Amino acid sequence: MKRPLGAAGWIKVILPWILLAGLLLLPATHPSDNLIRLLFITAVWTTTSLGWNLLGGMAGQVSFGFAVFFGLGAYTTALLMHAGHSPYFGFVGGAAIAMLASFLIGLPTFRLRGPYFVIATIGVTEAVRVIMNNLDVTGGASGYRITEDKPFSPLEHYYTAIAAVALAFVVSMVIAGSKFGLALRAIKQDEDAAADLGVNPFTSKLWIHAIAAGLTGIAGGIYARRAAFFYPGDVFAFQTGISILLMPVIGGIGTVWGAVLGGVVFGMVEEELVVHFPNLHLLIYGSLLIVIILLEPDGLLGLLRRLFRLFRRKREDSGSPDADQILWGRGGVEGRKF
Amino acid sequence: MDAVEYLDLLLKALLLAGVYAAMAVGMTVIYGVMKIVNLAHAGFLMLGAYFALEMFQRFHIDPILGAVMALPVFFLFGMLVHWILVRWLPKSDTPTLASLLLMFGFLLVLQNVGYLLWGTEDQSILTPLTLSSVQIGEISIAKVKLVVFVAAVVCMIVLQIVLHRSWFGRSMRALIQNPYAAKIVGVDDQRTARLTFGLGTAFAGFAGALLGMLYSFSPDFGRPFLLRSFVIIVLGGLESVSGVALGAIVLAVLETFSTAIPLPWYWHKWSFYYLPPSYQPVVPFALLVLVLVIMPKGLAGLFNRKWKAA
Amino acid sequence: MAALKDVSFDIPENQICGFIGPNGAGKTTLFSLITGAVRPSAGQVHFRGKDVTGMSSAALVKRGVARTHQVVRPFKAMSVLENVQVAVHYGRHAVTRTAVAREHAMEALKLVGLDRKANVLASAISLGEQKRLEVARALATAPELLLLDEICGGLTGSETGAMMELLHRIREGGTTIMYVEHDMKAIMAVCDRITVLNFGQKLAEGKPEEVQNDASVIEAYLGKSTFRDKKRG
Repeated sequence: MKRPLGAAGWIKVILPWILLAGLLLLPATHPSDNLIRLLFITAVWTTTSLGWNLLGGMAGQVSFGFAVFFGLGAYTTALLMHAGHSPYFGFVGGAAIAMLASFLIGLPTFRLRGPYFVIATIGVTEAVRVIMNNLDVTGGASGYRITEDKPFSPLEHYYTAIAAVALAFVVSMVIAGSKFGLALRAIKQDEDAAADLGVNPFTSKLWIHAIAAGLTGIAGGIYARRAAFFYPGDVFAFQTGISILLMPVIGGIGTVWGAVLGGVVFGMVEEELVVHFPNLHLLIYGSLLIVIILLEPDGLLGLLRRLFRLFRRKREDSGSPDADQILWGRGGVEGRKF
Repeated sequence: MDAVEYLDLLLKALLLAGVYAAMAVGMTVIYGVMKIVNLAHAGFLMLGAYFALEMFQRFHIDPILGAVMALPVFFLFGMLVHWILVRWLPKSDTPTLASLLLMFGFLLVLQNVGYLLWGTEDQSILTPLTLSSVQIGEISIAKVKLVVFVAAVVCMIVLQIVLHRSWFGRSMRALIQNPYAAKIVGVDDQRTARLTFGLGTAFAGFAGALLGMLYSFSPDFGRPFLLRSFVIIVLGGLESVSGVALGAIVLAVLETFSTAIPLPWYWHKWSFYYLPPSYQPVVPFALLVLVLVIMPKGLAGLFNRKWKAA
Repeated sequence: MAALKDVSFDIPENQICGFIGPNGAGKTTLFSLITGAVRPSAGQVHFRGKDVTGMSSAALVKRGVARTHQVVRPFKAMSVLENVQVAVHYGRHAVTRTAVAREHAMEALKLVGLDRKANVLASAISLGEQKRLEVARALATAPELLLLDEICGGLTGSETGAMMELLHRIREGGTTIMYVEHDMKAIMAVCDRITVLNFGQKLAEGKPEEVQNDASVIEAYLGKSTFRDKKRG
């Protein structure tokens, strides 16, 4: 049952390739160091955004606790590099440790539903940060320094980050189109009904949590290697977990492109806007969150779609029901009345 | 440790429980009536502390009086927040993620306002009470803790009276117990919700002022207390005010004694260790996860729980 | 208080077994016990000679036991086809390939007559159609035993007739059916055997005509509502 692709469909197929080609060829134009740095950090954030979206967007399990995986990725990579391993081995190790942690966290917390799960993840992330602040192996609160023998190469970092975001994108797309992705969407809407059709919600959530954690761990490792110095109050910060959550919500929760858009916007805002208005970033994110919740649950992507529709004057049902399902619970679209 | 030291700790725990209860009760009433997990509670606590500080520094008003003055001010503030933001949330019998994220967004805004007004550095309210203490036998207790405890307890008692004697309290309890029946018999749920949000905010401001007398604070002040409030209201069964008192005592005792009780540990042989004080902040967080997973219906729910895995 | 007490019965293969009883007789509880939604405080459930007591509903589906719910719970943000596709992917046969799963799902939709609505959002179809979707989903898990809970509630007369025809066809396909229904006419017409429950206990069991003429059943169940049932049937 293959339907012919419309114009929008073709754009969706071609756009990632154009973007990837552009990003890979960009260094040939001798861009400024600042632009490379900006794109690097945006790619790292977008990777975490895509990772979070797998659990929060596709499976509907909103977690405040992704700083744990980001931080574990950072520290594992650093410790492995310190032990003489290649940084790429470090990223894999970081992903593995983050996945392991995701199982330990998921086993108790996935027994909880909705807001109770959210609150539990807040507890987990705060507890982990306190512990990491006190462990000897992490160097404690004073931080950890990575030293590399090689000279600093911004482009190597850049390409690593692009590879990570491409990986996250491909993983997201594959899962979204797979039987597993369908099961996750079913779980998001009605766990019990999904179980009645043979889906095991608990193990499904554990696995997608692990995949999301692995991607976030890789991003943490890549971030740490370039930063070369970091401390628990930075990578394990509550604020880091919030940022990872805000990106897909701002971009458009539940859709892969929404997560990408959110990551890009966040990266740009964080690096450009915050430099100029260092005291206002919480205000910006907070008001954005309020506006999104009350007016446009589909985030920026929903806003773009709405604009697009204005020009095309095409009748369609407004917005994606997925965002409504996640944010407003089982009632779905008709649950919202304004 | 000898008996006197344990008694000392127990007394400190009980004094702490008083302010904990005042801190959590605002969150409970809002959850009970509206099923909103109010993350902005942390912001209200923070504003309460700064309110008392400003009153003290600008007008030389005693912080205890400042805390009491916070009640009406934050009541109005809460009603305003409800009118501007919260009332647009659709009604729900179960907490929705949207309400949680909305309140979280508001918390970020409040925090940023805090940073703009007062900067990032830690502040504290120092009065003659802060440094003086009362001596009972071998135990010495800071006077400020006693005063704060009394204020918190008095306020809780007043709240209990309001809830059980007034028209507003009755309609509030009706909405908590059975929203459908309450609406059928004519309880105005929108108005009650607005007043409840005001009440919850008032208590948050009051408790924030009390906490500000005990600890130093910054605009990021509320978050650890937010999580403690969660632990307390989940222990207390989420919706009952008396449950909050129980939850507050349990949390305060566990937290206070966590570093004083030897923990058995097996590594080749049994031995006992004390939890290092630097790990003490983990206790409420770990307890939060534990309590949510093991007894989602609170302490009372333990006795008549229906266990259903996953 | 026990919702069900000392209820014991066998379901013979390839039959439609009806369960009737007044409100609160424990019919839905019985289904929940069998499908693992509620764990029994005593007693056992065996399926094909194996003890399946307290097994999760997902595990039971894999073994060939599927159920529908009295209150329909479609995945509203998915298309009708996707709703059924989940069941094909995770049912007894655990189909992996998407194209194959879609084919199977379309077959199930054709059976219940929803194939023309395959690409419509599940929230946009009528209640009657949602009830049929619920049946299609359960069917698509390829069950050997299918538990149907009040699938005719709220349906029109012709819709009910079509549903009864569907049940016969499902049984011809080799599936055993346990069927709970309030509509006496429907259940009498379609069932091979009927079990009557009252206050959580088994009152009578047998062929529809036998049960219909059982004195204790008439007294306990039909007796009080004879007038209404006469009017209806």
